[in-house]
Amino acid sequence: MTVSPKRRAVWRRCLALLVLIPAIALASPTVPLGKKLKIGVTLHPYYSFVANIVGDRAEVVALIPAQANPHNYQPQPDDITRAMTLDALVVNGIGHDEWAFQIVKAAGREATLPIIQANASVALIPIGGDQDGAKVVNPHTFVSTTAAIQQVFEIARRLGELDPGNAATYRQNALAYAARIRALRAGFMTRFAALDLSAFRCATTHAGYDYMMQEFGLFVSAVIEPRHGVAPTARQLANTVDAIKKANVRVLFAEKNFSLDLAKPIEAATGVKVFALSHITGDTYSADEFEVAMRENLETLAEAIEFTQR
Amino acid sequence: MARLSQSWPGADANGATKVVRPASGRWESLALLLAALAIIASVTGYVLLRPQHPGPPIALGWQVRSFDGLGAVDQAIHSALLPASEEIIWNNNDTGGWISLERAQEIWLPPFYRDAFWKTNGQVHWQLILPGGHLPHAGSVDGHEDDSAVPATSEVSQATQGQGATVYYGSAGRAPGQSAYLLVIGHAHAGVMWANQATIWVHPDPNAPYPGIVKPESLVGKGWRQVIPYDGASEVERVKGNQP
Repeated sequence: MTVSPKRRAVWRRCLALLVLIPAIALASPTVPLGKKLKIGVTLHPYYSFVANIVGDRAEVVALIPAQANPHNYQPQPDDITRAMTLDALVVNGIGHDEWAFQIVKAAGREATLPIIQANASVALIPIGGDQDGAKVVNPHTFVSTTAAIQQVFEIARRLGELDPGNAATYRQNALAYAARIRALRAGFMTRFAALDLSAFRCATTHAGYDYMMQEFGLFVSAVIEPRHGVAPTARQLANTVDAIKKANVRVLFAEKNFSLDLAKPIEAATGVKVFALSHITGDTYSADEFEVAMRENLETLAEAIEFTQR
Repeated sequence: MARLSQSWPGADANGATKVVRPASGRWESLALLLAALAIIASVTGYVLLRPQHPGPPIALGWQVRSFDGLGAVDQAIHSALLPASEEIIWNNNDTGGWISLERAQEIWLPPFYRDAFWKTNGQVHWQLILPGGHLPHAGSVDGHEDDSAVPATSEVSQATQGQGATVYYGSAGRAPGQSAYLLVIGHAHAGVMWANQATIWVHPDPNAPYPGIVKPESLVGKGWRQVIPYDGASEVERVKGNQP
């Protein structure tokens, strides 16, 4: 039996389609139906963000222990084991969790683990009050409400790409969570509206709060740490004390869960009042940790502003 | 005591020096020289031809980077417009409508929501201009205590007739050095697919009139500059090169 060349070409195309369509379907990074994603997170706020986005549609796994200090974390064998089982990993990616990439590499997942850069679409701002006047990216986008919402949207969008079956739910959950964060912020905005913010000047021990300050039109006049996590030299400390005096700063924000040692000499030398803000790090991971910590931060900020009005 | 010999290898009995040529004919020296040249050439070639990590986008003349090109107030408003635009687009995808300025007040959506942020960042007057609108839309105009510097809404609406973009136009800000703002949400078509895309523009004059036509070439001609966000993706690219 002879087959015409035209018919042979049609058969060839059909055969190619039969091979290609399953190949493309298998190559896509989407999740098989019915399987729950296992999403890793590096920092406490990202646990809250992802937990609120996915609800019960996926599992959230903290990559490192809750009590660990992300500023100087050294990866442990258990972290590597956890990284081996993940379907995606949400990272800050701009300087706050570089150890996560070591863990992923050690787990042999560099090529197979989708990394969700939470800050991919966040407009970054420089560290305020840098004594050298340098424009250095501030990675603390999660200590805020507006930049936090932007990250929630970015994570929801990327998770929706990885898990299209739940994309609509992730988006609705993200919008509901964003509304809650905005409501929290609005409550304090009403309180702040009665205050004169124009003369408020502050210093911080750690350059962690620029995004939060930006939301209230506030700015940091001086930062004690010359660089992220780096203790100042005696000369740098003296320069900072001068800057605080010149700018008539009355308030110094220290980090609640880390050492207050840096704040004490500044307080003694300048007479500033020390308030403690949270870097959103705690002993346990939870879905509501971000809201609880931000409520405390905004309360502290309000108290500090009210202190300067007396 | 033994007497030391006065002769040394290569000297004959008469004391004449005999030069012994190396068996290889000094090719080692030549080989060493060639190897050194080859290494220098290789290193030079690698340095000149090595793959460069592309840096973050550089702002063109008609663009401005959010990170280091905007003042603090503009930066704050830009930071708030980004998530707002995302929410506006998602809302449009779900409902087909646009978040009005009244609705923005109800859902506390910055930078439109009139709170302490709005107050400290110049009390910008916002208008929503819908595609092809002739008349002011309900909830499309933000009330303002002093509207003398603000263009009439009907003029703005008429100027946009027939255009496909939805625009949130912010003007009359009172903070020193503040700009005027445009959040332009356009429909990008690709075959049968379409998607909303947002761009943010600033004008150095806070009272810059609504530009009428919101196409890039027209905006550039009227002194508007597109804001290029220096975002996390740009920072990762700067530090680590292109990511998969």
